[in-house]
Amino acid sequence: MLSPGKAVKVTIYLSEGSTHHGVPIYSSILDFLFYRGVAGATVTKGIAGFGADHHMHSSNLIDISDHLPIKIEFIESRETVDAMLGKLEEMAGTGLIETQETTIAKPAQTSRARPKVHPEHLKIEGKAQMMRIYLSEEDRWNGKPLYKALVEAMRANDIAGVTVYRGILGYGAHRRMHKDESLFSAHHGSVMLSAIDTAAKLRAFLPMVDRMVEEGLVVFSDVDIIKYAYRAHDAQTETQSPAQAPPRSEGGLP
Amino acid sequence: MKEQFSGCMVRVHFGEDDRWQGKPLHEAIVARCKQLEIAEVIVFRGIEGFGSGSRIRRSGHWTFSKDAPIQLSIIDTEEQVARLLPLLDTMVEEGLVATSRVDAIRYRRSSQPPRSGS
Repeated sequence: MLSPGKAVKVTIYLSEGSTHHGVPIYSSILDFLFYRGVAGATVTKGIAGFGADHHMHSSNLIDISDHLPIKIEFIESRETVDAMLGKLEEMAGTGLIETQETTIAKPAQTSRARPKVHPEHLKIEGKAQMMRIYLSEEDRWNGKPLYKALVEAMRANDIAGVTVYRGILGYGAHRRMHKDESLFSAHHGSVMLSAIDTAAKLRAFLPMVDRMVEEGLVVFSDVDIIKYAYRAHDAQTETQSPAQAPPRSEGGLP
Repeated sequence: MKEQFSGCMVRVHFGEDDRWQGKPLHEAIVARCKQLEIAEVIVFRGIEGFGSGSRIRRSGHWTFSKDAPIQLSIIDTEEQVARLLPLLDTMVEEGLVATSRVDAIRYRRSSQPPRSGS
């Protein structure tokens, strides 16, 4: 939540036609800002303009009308902006980014609490936590599959890693138990997301899960990270503390 | 609706070819779990692995053998899991059962009635 006082206004100038991994850049930047918990952002489309290449783009000509100027504006605290600038520069490509000192006279109001933002990507060693989220593959959020939206949200919040698994069979909190239904008629589409990071970062992400998951199960367990690299955990093991864990069943072992 | 509980996760590893009374073992276990009203069960098929018999298990379209590694994940309270474990003892002939303690949060649409049992 922004508070009255000093802040930074960021303006990004783009061309409408420019894409990033096949998606319009303004849309991926807007997603990024959204999942990073930015207080608000506005995209406006110009009716004419020119950029660094000095080509005049105007809506008068049908054939170049998809290169109209696009402007994204948002206001955030200095720390938040500084933490995001690197990624924004990378995403904006050839576009221009301007920051400007500004003063908030009255912040916008919201009825919901905003999740905490943890911009730093910390290196993790030793103890960490694994968060597993069980959902239905058909669950949707804002028009896209919920599991995809969750992965995007985790990426924007710098969760160290997440993998989505599709089950071949299952049922759970995300599916109603119909006693009269035959057992295997509704088993398609059980999905599990497994994310690993520090307990603090996963807990900070939980308000986002609260907002996004309507039906499902979220499970936390302690893990030991044995090796950790920026992009991938090469190995990790689940903590199996004999003092805490229930006795392991021996029946399955020959 | 949000409900927090401390529970237990059971992971059962075996092969896709394993059977119980003529039925695929994983289907039989899911059916038993449903009878016991276990909260959450999901079955995964691995693409490669090996287990207690040290046979390499592979799934693939190019082989006749479809004995892919199977992992069943079961989550519920410790009492519920304690009811299930003896059943697993009888059903899983060759495999591995691992349990761990977890903290869980269940989300449910408020219109739904709470789960009976347990």
